[in-house]
Amino acid sequence: MTSTSSTTTPLLELRGLTVRYGGRSGLLAVDGVDLSLRAGETLGLAGESGCGKSTLAMSVLRLLPKSAQIEGEILLDGEDITQMSFGRLRTVRWASASVVFQGAMHALNPVKRIGEQIAEPIRLHGTVPAGHVKSRVRELLEQVELPVARADAYPHELSGGQKQRVMIAMALACEPRLVIADEPTTALDVIVQAQVLALLSRLVADHGIGLIMISHDLSVLGATCARLAVMYAGKLVEEGPSRQVIGEPKHEHTKALAAAFPTIGDPSSRYAPATSSELGLPGAPEPVAEGVEPLLRTDNLRVTFTGRGQTTEAVKGVDLEVYPGEIVALVGQSGSGKTTLARTILGLQKPTSGQVLFEGKALPHSARALRAYRRKVQLVLQDPTSALNPRHTVYEAIAEGLRIHKLPGDERELVAQALEAAELRPPERFMTVLPHELSGGQRQRVVIAGALALAPTLLVADEPVASLDASVRGEILALLLRLRASLGLAALVITHDLGLAWNIADRVAVMYKGELVEVGTVAEVLRDPKHEYTKQLLAALPDGTALPAGEVTA
Amino acid sequence: MPSPRRGGGTARYLLTKLGGAVISLFMVVVLGFILFRVMPGDPVKTMTRGHPVTNEQLAILEHRYGLDKPKIAQFWDYLVKLLHGDFGDSYQYSRPVGDMILEKLWPTVLLVGTGTILAVALGLWLGTRAAWQRNSVFDKASTGIALAFWSMPTFWLGMILLTAAGGLFPSGGMVYPDTPPDFLSQALDILHHLVLPVITLVAVVYAQYQLVMRSSLLEEMDADYLTTARAKGLRDDLVRRRHAVPNALLPTVTLVFLHLGMVVAGAITVEAVFSWPGLGQMTYNAIGVPDLPVLQGTFIVLAAAVLVMNLIADVLYRFLDPRVRAV
Repeated sequence: MTSTSSTTTPLLELRGLTVRYGGRSGLLAVDGVDLSLRAGETLGLAGESGCGKSTLAMSVLRLLPKSAQIEGEILLDGEDITQMSFGRLRTVRWASASVVFQGAMHALNPVKRIGEQIAEPIRLHGTVPAGHVKSRVRELLEQVELPVARADAYPHELSGGQKQRVMIAMALACEPRLVIADEPTTALDVIVQAQVLALLSRLVADHGIGLIMISHDLSVLGATCARLAVMYAGKLVEEGPSRQVIGEPKHEHTKALAAAFPTIGDPSSRYAPATSSELGLPGAPEPVAEGVEPLLRTDNLRVTFTGRGQTTEAVKGVDLEVYPGEIVALVGQSGSGKTTLARTILGLQKPTSGQVLFEGKALPHSARALRAYRRKVQLVLQDPTSALNPRHTVYEAIAEGLRIHKLPGDERELVAQALEAAELRPPERFMTVLPHELSGGQRQRVVIAGALALAPTLLVADEPVASLDASVRGEILALLLRLRASLGLAALVITHDLGLAWNIADRVAVMYKGELVEVGTVAEVLRDPKHEYTKQLLAALPDGTALPAGEVTA
Repeated sequence: MPSPRRGGGTARYLLTKLGGAVISLFMVVVLGFILFRVMPGDPVKTMTRGHPVTNEQLAILEHRYGLDKPKIAQFWDYLVKLLHGDFGDSYQYSRPVGDMILEKLWPTVLLVGTGTILAVALGLWLGTRAAWQRNSVFDKASTGIALAFWSMPTFWLGMILLTAAGGLFPSGGMVYPDTPPDFLSQALDILHHLVLPVITLVAVVYAQYQLVMRSSLLEEMDADYLTTARAKGLRDDLVRRRHAVPNALLPTVTLVFLHLGMVVAGAITVEAVFSWPGLGQMTYNAIGVPDLPVLQGTFIVLAAAVLVMNLIADVLYRFLDPRVRAV
């Protein structure tokens, strides 16, 4: 980046920035990055986990751990951060540049009131006279559209979206000229994400603040930032105006990132998650024949939680069917009751009324019969890292289920078959490996293999790709499609990701406040939504990830 | 969410905890009664040792103490008296046990209180420093030393100290009989007597506070909110004092109070070694007889101390940690 055309110094300029962890021969996290940002500009920094984007962001305020070695220059308003004394650095932190951290849940101190936490940098940097701190906090809370009374709340009393608003208020507290937002909306629901992004964009524009936003989701960045930079393995591989980078990606990796999240309504991504596997994709499935008995059916299912004199109806009379070999996506925001519904289907939660029928029979109550049922209905969890015991080898992880259910046959043979089915080849190579030696995608395949080993007929998957990288996401989704084609495996996929539903599901069930407000084929629900809430969900998607309704129908 | 029911919730929480404590105390009373009766030794025989006594005289003594009644009846008598605040009379001294306990309570509280305050302060300070400079020489050395003291037998350490510093400090008791009765001289003399027992007590117990503080601070050290605090431009020691330590203190507070109850009981050894005229020494002397009313009385008082401290820990934790308060 050599921009000599303008006379003003850029707000932030990185020159040959290299960050290495742990000594000379250590891990190269950022590799010779040149980048510049003018005052008031917005820049999106995209890339997968481990590409060095967060390291780059943290280096701007020198917040990296001691083991990190920085080379090159980081010029903030023309002053090199790497050469600053510690005292000077402390004055620059937050007053000149502030950060909206990833996961506001952990970035806020759990035992301090949020008003106090917002006020802390104001007092520290003397942004306003001491007597005006309180009114400044009030003003900031109003700016992020939070009730002023919430200043007395503790972080755990706020919702995820509210906490992120607090982080934004805190970032703006000292009127910095640069804000770095590190995955500010990753953990949030579509609707909340849209609200937070709109808020951030508005505030940044109003105050003429320079913004660097980091995300793995190109569509989120495209919606907020004018320019996009894509990182891969520590290097900047592509940079340009957002529209151009997303519309006509040049680098191989940018293409993969752009393809990972499908455009809803685009027939080319229907039953076709982005995958580079040579195994290919099965074609669109045959529609379920008339008169076939559903594999799983819930009948007016209700789950009510009582505690401390309050009753919460988590599931309010749900009728849901999953047919053999069918993939159903259950979508809804967090707190909609979809996880409770899944737990009830698995027999982990007793319904208050109504029943779950599997293959036409009501769910048994005895522990022994439930065990037989759970063999046929297997669960795949969101985060494979915590779902696997870190001290068990892959072989142990898969064989455990076999032992519990005392399946006949040679154990080693069955484990090998399961690994084969989950496309971990050759199986022998993976058997003795521990989870931490595998990549995120491979771990999720191990979890799936553990489920497949028991030859289930239904897979219940709770956000199976939410914690995975964009490029791996497509591979796992393609695996689910291939498993359905080869084994006739049905799946109930719980997700907040409408693109996932468009990628692989046959039908979509939309859950809102404990009720299924809309159930239908993917084309019906996502292209021609009937219920107000479904329309809201679709409208909340970042620009460019959904074609206007009715334009193309698959 | 702040709800109008929060106040009611706290009252209910307190009542539940209090009820639990009362039930525990009753179990302690039952257990104490059984425990000291299965212990070897016959109080009547011990008391009359060295005197020629007839079987009739022994029977009279047994009758006087109610030891000839069935155990159930003995327990009933004991319970009824206890509910009236009467711990019974000591076999050895023929004095009300309640008075004896009251008399010996304050020396124990003085010893244990001083010891605990010093041990907590020392442990927390060392633990914080050790965690903040993880793997430094200071960390390794202070943790090693703490562990070494922790593994020392209390009586052994006490006797070593007595031998080493015997000339400088009194070897036992709480106050010399010839000290002038004015307040200052008495206080200074007690302080002089207090030094060695307190050092022994502190040395043996401070390690656990240090280790818990160290590990809970280490857990907080990688927390994201500390990065937030640093990014705000806070000085390193402010990050530690304002953000890291208050969070790390939460589990430590519980432990401090849990152990406080046990330290009271643990002081028995220290009091025995230094002839400190407290509850511990009284218990130690009563075991040989066995002086059942004294043992039962101190047993209840020590157990009650543990229960009360537990109760305080629960309430304090709820007060300190907003997350627990909401649940």
